Amino acid sequence: MANKTDTVSLSDTFTAGLWSENPVFRLLLGMCPTLAVTAAVKPAITMGGCVIFVLLCSNIVTSLMRNLLKPHLRILMFTLTIATFVTIADLFLKAYMPDMSEALGPYVPLIIVNCIIICRAEACASKNGLAVSIVDAIGMGLGFTLAVCVLAVVRELLGTGKILDTVILSDKVFMPWAVMVMPAGAFITLGLLLGLVSKITNKSKR
Amino acid sequence: MSKVKFFLQQSWLLIVTSFTFGLLLAAANAALQDKIVQNEQQKLNKKMAELITDANDFALVLDDVVIQLGKSKTVKTDIYKAIDTEGNIIGFAYIAEGPGFADKIKLVIAVDAGLTKFYGFKVLASNETPGFGDRIKDEFYNSQYAGAPFGDFELVKTGDNKKIDSEIVAISGATVSSEAVIKIFNSYTNQVKEKLQAEGLIANGK
Repeated sequence: MANKTDTVSLSDTFTAGLWSENPVFRLLLGMCPTLAVTAAVKPAITMGGCVIFVLLCSNIVTSLMRNLLKPHLRILMFTLTIATFVTIADLFLKAYMPDMSEALGPYVPLIIVNCIIICRAEACASKNGLAVSIVDAIGMGLGFTLAVCVLAVVRELLGTGKILDTVILSDKVFMPWAVMVMPAGAFITLGLLLGLVSKITNKSKR
Repeated sequence: MSKVKFFLQQSWLLIVTSFTFGLLLAAANAALQDKIVQNEQQKLNKKMAELITDANDFALVLDDVVIQLGKSKTVKTDIYKAIDTEGNIIGFAYIAEGPGFADKIKLVIAVDAGLTKFYGFKVLASNETPGFGDRIKDEFYNSQYAGAPFGDFELVKTGDNKKIDSEIVAISGATVSSEAVIKIFNSYTNQVKEKLQAEGLIANGK
């Protein structure tokens, strides 16, 4: 019985990050990278991978030391943990994906101040065991990655007619909308997708 | 004594974690640093080859050259010589950096062997505003330096960007970044010339 309860709980935790508590579309967290790195799919996937890695490591460490945390020092501990793993992710990108590291610019180091990660450390990992924290990190990380990828697909397709350097809409049938790869395109796409997600959620509630 | 005990009771976890994460970062840095340096050198070689297209090879001639940036600020740079297939020196390239609008701008600047004209510059690192300051990489601005006389530059807000002289036409909406590049050029030009003359790599009269 206990096992069944745990399974249900883990499954709910995982799916929450993907839809009902999706960090981008439902909680509106991590807006900086969501707007900044979604002009193309490749940087969006890389950013998603970095966030999953940092979120997973941060949740594991926070969960393991949750009983030792002093309440007034917890934010300091979270920041220290997150900064360490972000630095490792940044070094890895510089070593093995230098072009992508250059394309992402300051947005990888800025994961340190990404609200999703500190929010999950505070709301989940510091109050739950290792299994729940790991599943929460994977769910939330995948939810973030999927959200930025959806934005990136729309923006890259309409902005360049391509996805991952593959021509989808040729110049003969479609004139690319340059605005979609500009910052304004990020706000327009995010706004439309937030409206769409809200509409679907409201419909399913009824 | 009780104060020390209280301090340790409150902060032991922070101290232990900081030390552990410090070791982790040191290990990650040690493991990846060689690869990062190798990537940076490859990038530099690629940019230098794009600037001095006739060069067959590049060799470091002066390293850790101290450049005065004013207000008692100094920076160290490396100067490379470009060699053609017959072993003749056909130019020099050096790394130059200075403050931009958002962050430090790092350039590689190339000059001919007699220090009479610039081959131009390439951006090694910059976090200037996308769509505005980052247009220092674009042909409109960048091409104005290719073939320009060796000496100080001056920024003008309007003019013909096709005319190659010591006047550089600013990028509309990015005057600070345009000016930053000129300041970087002007800070290095005379000092690099003096260093090369002092080493006997160019004739003193030039």
